[in-house]
Amino acid sequence: MQPQFSKAEVATTPEGALVHDDSTAKWFLVSSVAYFFIVGIIAVIIAAKFVWPDLMGTMSWLTYGRLRPLHVNGMLFGWLLAADMGLAYYVIPRLCGVKLWSEKLGLATAILWNVIILGAVVTLLAGQNQGWEYAELPWYLDVLVVAAWIMFGLNVLMTVASRKHQAMYVTIWYTMGCILWTAFVYLTGNFATLVTTGTNQANLNWMYVHNAVGLIFTPIGLAIAYYFIPRASNTPLHSHKLSMVGFWSLAFVYVWTGAHHMLHGPISQWLQTIAIAFSLMLLIPVWAVVYNLFATMKGQWHQLRESVPLKFLMSGVVFYLLTCFQGPMHSLRTVNAIVSKTDWIPGHAHMAVLGCFSFFAIAGTYFTVPKLWGKPLHSQSLANWSYWMLMIGGLGFFTTLWLGGFWQGWQWNNWSIPFIDTVIALRPIWIVRFVSGILMFIGIVMFAYNILATALGDQQEAAV
Amino acid sequence: MFKKADNNALWAIGISLALFFIGGILTTVVPPLVDTTWAKPFENHDPAKGVTGKVVPLTDLQKKGRAIYVREGCWYCHTQQVRTLLADTKRYGWRGVDAPISTPDEFVYDDPHMFGTKRTGPDLARVGGKYDEQWHRTHFRNPRDLVKGSIMPPYPWIVNNPEEFKAMVAYLQSLGRGKDWRPANDYEK
Repeated sequence: MQPQFSKAEVATTPEGALVHDDSTAKWFLVSSVAYFFIVGIIAVIIAAKFVWPDLMGTMSWLTYGRLRPLHVNGMLFGWLLAADMGLAYYVIPRLCGVKLWSEKLGLATAILWNVIILGAVVTLLAGQNQGWEYAELPWYLDVLVVAAWIMFGLNVLMTVASRKHQAMYVTIWYTMGCILWTAFVYLTGNFATLVTTGTNQANLNWMYVHNAVGLIFTPIGLAIAYYFIPRASNTPLHSHKLSMVGFWSLAFVYVWTGAHHMLHGPISQWLQTIAIAFSLMLLIPVWAVVYNLFATMKGQWHQLRESVPLKFLMSGVVFYLLTCFQGPMHSLRTVNAIVSKTDWIPGHAHMAVLGCFSFFAIAGTYFTVPKLWGKPLHSQSLANWSYWMLMIGGLGFFTTLWLGGFWQGWQWNNWSIPFIDTVIALRPIWIVRFVSGILMFIGIVMFAYNILATALGDQQEAAV
Repeated sequence: MFKKADNNALWAIGISLALFFIGGILTTVVPPLVDTTWAKPFENHDPAKGVTGKVVPLTDLQKKGRAIYVREGCWYCHTQQVRTLLADTKRYGWRGVDAPISTPDEFVYDDPHMFGTKRTGPDLARVGGKYDEQWHRTHFRNPRDLVKGSIMPPYPWIVNNPEEFKAMVAYLQSLGRGKDWRPANDYEK
């Protein structure tokens, strides 16, 4: 197990004298991994509620309607975005050849972020829900999120401004893009919605929801993939030019597509058509990125056998390709008439956020934590198991929901079938989803335990 | 232009934002200016022009019920939109009458909007007037008592709080009634 670790270790310290503090990265990573585990419990509970609807059903704060926003917000902001930020705090100073601009500001950001997540748990369980997807948190927590984002952005941008190397690697562009776009996307979804109503508000809401994935998690996720795939495989990136094509086309086409969440719905037809056209154009940035990352691995695929981070990274790229093929196809009116509002939707959303971006973040965490704490990963075989659990559970989850979604949509389109019969028909699908969820949760527990045991366990334990 | 962004951070930031704002403004700020039906409440008294009716703001009681609907996350499983699909207008119709298609002008007073993205349960855009109060009381207490195989959670704390229950029912009965498409007091048994 050691060669892969030490080989990469040599590659990351060309500056020699420069010693990074990294306490901000450590705090973000440890807390995000803990939330991944905690929110994973909620995920399993709500999957179980589809099969046993009376489960914990008489306590208002444990009903599906309260736990679902906690699951979504907890996974998106408590786990994934926090892990991505932690990795950015690690990656950006190294790519710039300087120390993080302010470690104190970084630590304050980490504390504030934890305050936000804990506040989210309390308010969401209490039913303090604003009523917009991905923007459920009450306004005072939204203000704190904006403050934390400014602190994060300032730290990263100032680090970039003080960089030693003139040329910026693609990871830096994506991270800067994420910081800037997120600011406007988040303000639109959480504040502009406050002064609008009806269709106008829904349009702003979907612009935010869609771009929360497209212009927040995609750029920061790709930033991580672009850094860790070459790093973990000790192979240079295939093409700088192709990474530019991917980045600039992403910047242009993503924001147009929000209205595809309301196809056939009460929103202007021409706006739906615009959203469809740009949804198809998304194939350009996606295929540019995917080809670039695959070509980087050319002749290096055998490395996947030994390296858990590479397994997660390249599986994530495959899921990125798949989910970003689904999205444009699903936005075609004829396909949308079948799958829209069905269980296909959570299948698609989970493949993007879990199968792709969480896999990238998990890979980055596995790669950096041993370096951050200066000791080998607690257990390589446990890490390998966590990959297979998440992979098998994830595939079970995605495929059953896609098939189930089509099946459900076809049933709905025959209006002589009573609605309740279409619910009863889906029960086997939800049972498989629950079992897959258990497998994924076991994978999460293995991952979280491995990381925390590496970080917090004593040296001797780690050496076993 | 893009080459320069490789080495110049301000340049990279400038182009990233410029490209983003073209689509951002054209799809968020411009559409409500172009399509005025987004802001003008539905009103039609001429049967020759299609379904008649008038959308009015919710009463205080209905608003209270709506707040409960938001609080309990009903909107995670129930959409409120009859789409431009036969499958929707037929399925959510009543006694052979198709449900009218939902249009933006029906939702001008909706805040937060409750269009939804997922139908774990049926669409509720035209549910107003479909079931009477007693049906809702039994259904909220335990949905499976009325609909075998339903996976909706029970909501005893709403039924056991007369004020909340009354508000909730008042809100549900208002849904979709801005368009006069069905008689009042003609409930499903």
